[in-house]
Amino acid sequence: MDDNKQNRKVIEAEVPMGPVHPAALEPYRLRLFVEDEIVRDAEMTVGVNHRGVERIMEGLPVEKANSLTEKICGICSNSHIWNSCRTAEIALDIEVPERAIYIRIIMEELERLHSHMLYLAHGCEVLGHETFSMRLFYIRETVMDLLGMIGGNRVQYGSAVLGGVRPRCELDEMRLQKITEGMDLLEEKISAFADRFVSDPMVMSRITGVGLISQKDALRLACTGPTLRATGVANDLRTVMFEYDPFDFDVITQDDGDVKSQLLMRVFENFEAIKIIRQAVRDLPEGPITNRSWEMKDVPLTKSYIEVPRGTLYHSYALEDGRVRNCVIRTPSMANIGAMQYACIGHHITDAQLSIVQCDPCFTCTDRAIEIINI
Amino acid sequence: MDLTYSLIAVIGTLVVSFMVSLFLPGIERKFIHARIQQRVGPPITSPGIMAPIKFFFKQTINPESPMPRLYNALPLISLIVVIILLLFLIPQMYFLGALASIIAIVGFLKVEEVMYMFMGSLSKSVLSVRMPFPDMAKGAKHPETPRSFVEELSSLRAFRLIAFGSFPIYIALFVSVAKTGSLYLSDIIAYQQIHGPILFSLAGVMGAVVFFIGYMILLNEYPFSILKAKPDVIEGPYLEYASKYRAYVYLTRGFLMFVLATLFATLFLGIAPNIMNINFIITLIVALLFPMIMAVMSAFSPVFTYKQFYPTVAAVSILGVLAIVAALL
Repeated sequence: MDDNKQNRKVIEAEVPMGPVHPAALEPYRLRLFVEDEIVRDAEMTVGVNHRGVERIMEGLPVEKANSLTEKICGICSNSHIWNSCRTAEIALDIEVPERAIYIRIIMEELERLHSHMLYLAHGCEVLGHETFSMRLFYIRETVMDLLGMIGGNRVQYGSAVLGGVRPRCELDEMRLQKITEGMDLLEEKISAFADRFVSDPMVMSRITGVGLISQKDALRLACTGPTLRATGVANDLRTVMFEYDPFDFDVITQDDGDVKSQLLMRVFENFEAIKIIRQAVRDLPEGPITNRSWEMKDVPLTKSYIEVPRGTLYHSYALEDGRVRNCVIRTPSMANIGAMQYACIGHHITDAQLSIVQCDPCFTCTDRAIEIINI
Repeated sequence: MDLTYSLIAVIGTLVVSFMVSLFLPGIERKFIHARIQQRVGPPITSPGIMAPIKFFFKQTINPESPMPRLYNALPLISLIVVIILLLFLIPQMYFLGALASIIAIVGFLKVEEVMYMFMGSLSKSVLSVRMPFPDMAKGAKHPETPRSFVEELSSLRAFRLIAFGSFPIYIALFVSVAKTGSLYLSDIIAYQQIHGPILFSLAGVMGAVVFFIGYMILLNEYPFSILKAKPDVIEGPYLEYASKYRAYVYLTRGFLMFVLATLFATLFLGIAPNIMNINFIITLIVALLFPMIMAVMSAFSPVFTYKQFYPTVAAVSILGVLAIVAALL
């Protein structure tokens, strides 16, 4: 890729796609340089959907700013509000009740489940396998119902608040029972799907060896999350997050770094998420779910990293008079863009979108930057 | 009297066939795809009847094309070619001699295939090169590289499909020729009336499998839909068609589904499409079965790239050659 850039070779044809393209669920520009339908180089541009959330957060009371972060993404909304609250909690030394941490973990792992199912469904759709895609969306409904039950909404749950979780997210016996039943159902359905998926020779032929990212390249391109783990690097921030200390789970890795590895990676991670949720439900401690005894103070820039379904999510801001200053948010898809471009190269042009989708892009929440013209 | 009878037979067959063909896309989508995918699916009349009617009354927009009139005329030409194809399958038209032969059928199918190439090369949609975007001004990694529309890619694929993709169906057509020793449809039918349908022989079974795969390739149905693969070329050659021209595209596809099934019934069962003959019911059953089996297969397959396409076509073509050999023996 770099050699091509330096040499500026004349390639047979450039096929530009997007930012509006049916195979791309989100707006991004893709320029593919092809020779006999094989991609020789790729150039991806994001930034057509920036809303300037960081700028809007600037000067807002921290509680309002936290609520706003939930609107950043429709898939990992809980991850954003959790990490934003977590940043303030670290900055203000707020002790979160243990029960609230458990509920947050349940929400986060449910979100991981629905995000991974969405990813698999999208992958199958780009693969051209609509039946698998529909089946996955159908399975995903169980998770969406559970999220709706806890948060009162299927997309914006609003569970995390400073010092704990909202009262409406309290888990009583009936809800815990429903979560347990949901996990049993999901495990059964995902297992059945996985068996069917890996035994389909046509699907395996389409995804094996396609969109290859080697471990060395994944590290060089600064990949994160499941995209990195699918190349064999056991890097999962959950292993160092204190919230996950009570839970026993495995960091899933795959060796091949192709689309097959990436897809199977999410399937296996789903089972780990189910395992964590079951532990959280079983060991859910008694006690309050919100700590309201904290005081606002001015704090310098504070950072927080958490592991979200797509990788490492970064939030940082300072607090001044209870208001947010110098907010920066970096989503995992930003780190994976390089890998998306790289994965297209050397493969058929029909596999280009698949190679991008394998890295689980979420550009709508990645587009943070604001272009300032005529200062 | 004979002329009147023949006219009624020909016109009646064309009209009934056309009416049945309108329901085929709906049956494919409502009763097979939707059922397999556990969703409600569209009303049965929606894809084949209501959609074309709706498009007929839509405002006509001139596409961005170097030859917009020709581009717009292509779906109608396709539809006419398919109608002619059915016309020469009707027994009352066999007096035309060479036009009612396998050679003429191959020729008409080729014309149908070439249409996709023209459509692709004449379409210039906004979804690729014409999309306004700042990177046009900023340049790219390889600024000297010529820019190509996605439809051009589709046109190139149509050319490749003409070259190798249609092998199976043409080989399957010649199984009946090898079996009967004649290129004329009248002889092929007469042979089967005496010796029984070719389908009930080893060569016939092999030929039927090959024909069916060829049928799916010609209809660009999953998994052989690389010509209009959503991940890159989107709708391919049809991308820019709007209003009545898109209606023609829909009608042509439904009618081609029917005509190819009729061709199968003629060549492998010895039943020519003729409304005056009770056996026409069998033709209708075949015409219903083909899209249904195709829908089941396509519902469980991803789209093929050349990596899967070439070996599949090669294997099916070899099977077709073996069928011809078996027929000759």
